[in-house]
Amino acid sequence: MPYHEFECSTCIPERKSHAVLKGEEDDLTTCLPEGHLATIPGTISERGCAYCGAKHVIGTPMKDAIHMSHGPVGCTYDTWQTKRYISDNDNFQLKYTHATDMKETHVVFGGMDLLKKNMIEAFKAHPEINRMTVYQTCASALIGDDMEAMAREVMKELPGTDIFVCNAPGFGGPSQSGGHHKINISWINEKVGTVEPKITSDYVINYVGDYNIQGDCEVMCDFFKRMGIQVLSTFTGNGSYDELRGMHRAHLNVLECARSAEYICNELRVKYGIPRLDIDGFGFGPLSESLMKVARFFGLEDRAQAIIDEEVARWKPELDWYKKRLTGVKVCLWPGGSKLWHWANAIHEEMGVEVVSLYTKFGHQGDMEKGIARAEVGTLAIDDPNELEGLEAMRMMKPDVIFTGVRPGEVAKKQRIQYLNAHAYHNGPYKGFEGWVRFARDIYNAHYSPIHQLSGIDISKDDFNIDKGFMTRQMISDVKLTPEEAHVEGETPYTGEFDCVTPLRTKTYPSELTRSTTAQAV
Amino acid sequence: MSCDLRAKERSGIINPIFTCQPCGAQYVSIGIKDCIAIVHGGQGCVMFVRMLFAQHFKDNFDIASSSLHEDSAVFGATGRVETAVDVLLARYPHVRVIPIITTCSTEIIGDDIEGVINKLNNGLLKEKYAGREVHLVPVHTPSFKGSMISGYDVAVESLVKAFAEQTTPNGKINLITGWVNPGDVTALKHLLAMMQIDATVLFEIESFDSPLMPDKSGVSHGETTVEDLKDTANAVGTIALNRYEGGKAAKYLEKKFKVPSVIGPSPIGIRNTDTFLKQLQTMSGKPIPEALVKERGIAIDAITDLAHMFFADKRVAIFGAPDLVISLAEFCIDMEMKPVLLLLGDDNSGYKKDDRIKALQANVDWDMEIIMNADLWELDDRIKNKGLKLDLIMGHSKGRWAAIDNHIPMVRVGFPTYDRAGLYRHPVVGYAGAIWLAEEIANTLFTDMEYKRNKEWLLNVW
Repeated sequence: MPYHEFECSTCIPERKSHAVLKGEEDDLTTCLPEGHLATIPGTISERGCAYCGAKHVIGTPMKDAIHMSHGPVGCTYDTWQTKRYISDNDNFQLKYTHATDMKETHVVFGGMDLLKKNMIEAFKAHPEINRMTVYQTCASALIGDDMEAMAREVMKELPGTDIFVCNAPGFGGPSQSGGHHKINISWINEKVGTVEPKITSDYVINYVGDYNIQGDCEVMCDFFKRMGIQVLSTFTGNGSYDELRGMHRAHLNVLECARSAEYICNELRVKYGIPRLDIDGFGFGPLSESLMKVARFFGLEDRAQAIIDEEVARWKPELDWYKKRLTGVKVCLWPGGSKLWHWANAIHEEMGVEVVSLYTKFGHQGDMEKGIARAEVGTLAIDDPNELEGLEAMRMMKPDVIFTGVRPGEVAKKQRIQYLNAHAYHNGPYKGFEGWVRFARDIYNAHYSPIHQLSGIDISKDDFNIDKGFMTRQMISDVKLTPEEAHVEGETPYTGEFDCVTPLRTKTYPSELTRSTTAQAV
Repeated sequence: MSCDLRAKERSGIINPIFTCQPCGAQYVSIGIKDCIAIVHGGQGCVMFVRMLFAQHFKDNFDIASSSLHEDSAVFGATGRVETAVDVLLARYPHVRVIPIITTCSTEIIGDDIEGVINKLNNGLLKEKYAGREVHLVPVHTPSFKGSMISGYDVAVESLVKAFAEQTTPNGKINLITGWVNPGDVTALKHLLAMMQIDATVLFEIESFDSPLMPDKSGVSHGETTVEDLKDTANAVGTIALNRYEGGKAAKYLEKKFKVPSVIGPSPIGIRNTDTFLKQLQTMSGKPIPEALVKERGIAIDAITDLAHMFFADKRVAIFGAPDLVISLAEFCIDMEMKPVLLLLGDDNSGYKKDDRIKALQANVDWDMEIIMNADLWELDDRIKNKGLKLDLIMGHSKGRWAAIDNHIPMVRVGFPTYDRAGLYRHPVVGYAGAIWLAEEIANTLFTDMEYKRNKEWLLNVW
């Protein structure tokens, strides 16, 4: 294996098998780092915990449920207001969070009464909400509170309410990934099949593994609805608790993030025989192919093609405007899990950027397989990176832009490397055709920022120009283009609105598309 | 007309004001030079706190985790502390101080932190790191006790206890700032300089606001040294600005080394800043200089333009750190405003005995509520469902929706304030802080008047 040993990690030899440098002849059999293993203490890893994987990543995007954590207040506070998973019901899930506030006395004598009181109080505080998800934490797991029993009691006492319990304490596994798994399995075991949904179309899907970051999920659902497809549930971005209880009636599970949500798709296949179709909403090519895949399943190819043609015609010239200017820009693709392979090849092909490094905090080997298969020769791939390795990788690979989280982004900033938020996005959504242009726009704005150019000047030592009062981004980016390249009829920078998601919420779709008889007429 | 002091009636928390103790200890740890703490618990206890710091300061801070996994929860996890210390020391040659911060999980499983430190001191440090100065400091911050505020208090005390060492009197004053921002430390050091007082500042965090440098050298980290901490035992006195964030350490120094201490009030507003200067004068014997009379005059001049015209009788709710909330309330009252709701976000039984709260209870001549063990629902619910009328909310960013949804202007103050740019750079303490607060309040109210078309024409002439 072409393992890459970081200088900063020679003293922890077990790290060596967690990074590879893809060579000319390499494929997956010769080039694959280990993944999803126990974290080495003290490395300053970027990993989170299983509780956050369950509650924060997957549970909380559900928009019409009270979200409560059974434990000390910190777990709740810390995972509140750190994400951008919006919803079409005025963001209830972003605004309200609940902690049972476990104290020493509960640790000693048990916290079940406390939990019950909390559940009742919370339903009283939000009379318009009668659904609840409750999460175990390290503390409540260690003292062994039976949360299911309390949930059953409360549901009995408050008819009309429904409570979901997820037992994924923070220490459950090497990263947040353990929590993704646990909540998937709990949801299918406890809740799916307990509500019979209203079927309004001959084409019915669950859209799974999208968390509606800045509206991603709503953008994708717009495409499905334009094809006449009923989206029975969205797991879990902008997702409705009761709709997710009716997942079993879909004809197809359309899976986006396989890292966090393949488990429930697999279970839905085993239990209800619903096939799983993996798709990819990022990038013109992958998205077009994905829409066609879904269409083929239902025989709606014409509709999909019409949508693709319309969208590509509208947005491709703007993507091309950026591609020209982003070609050769070096980026590190350092997200949490699956975006490393969702984005790896697509950004290279469609925006012209060179991906020089991939990493994953909580991905498994399977994610790395897909990432490395799509990566170019010379890419440095790192599993469970830590602070010093990240810095060393930046110095070694010299990227222009890094796609990562808020805090690692600040590390990059000090290295004079621009960052884009890979988890919450800068100015998303990034899914959809327009979204992909927004992504390109954000990369362009980062790389050609005039302030970024200024940051490299040492006014005490450098001979710097004083002939300009300003620079536009285009004055910087277009230097390397010929006038013919720079000015192509129809090609422009992004022309969409600041908010491209809210208008989708009031959009209407022709109901005749939902019947298969009309499908033949189209 | 009364001031009603009571605890929240509900048992749980809807929208917390504070996070748990380990966060406070982590905030202390980043203020110390050559220090990286190890948080002994699940990885989320560190990852999210680092993210919180990054959100507030828009900068990165290094804190390590012992990365508790399932097996550790079952079999105990002191072994993971041993590995963490070794890995950290091997890879960070500058590290001299490693606070080992406990969490709920490791306190419940009962890991013997003092025991493992002892073992490391006599084993690993002697053998593998012989000749290297390393201090391992236990900090017990179970998450099921107190809050981030008490965690801060506990950590300052633990560190002072670990290092303070009586040698020769240094003639300095210990200034324990409490949980403040870099801008506050700058303002405090300015006052000390004007008074010509030499002080040991716990903690030197101005460098949290670090530059983006052409040579990439900018790093955000505190600068209080081991030597500073040692020397706290040799001071002429300690002033802890915040009773609940650093007060414990001041009392410890007094009890153990006879270093006299003054605890609070936080120098927020004109009156509390006057008090602080008087305390400095008494402790150091140095006069308050003319220049500070002038500075104070500038602040009073600014506030005079605002108070009786714009602030009088404005109804304010304030939430956040207890010392901050109380001092802000006092300042608001001096500026003719009416704090009607104060939310103190944990179950500290000391609030009932706090003289400042007693004074509010005795003297406030309008209806005011002080809620202990509060959450942000106490605010939201009163506005939405119980008819509370407010002109202004003051508090940190986690309360932003109470302001946004209820259309009440809000001044961001305290920690964290990630939804406004650069607030950590501005002081709330001292005369400079008084000016900033008053003008921030005014401009926030002005913007709201314009946005709501509520007598916005007033500002045509001012």
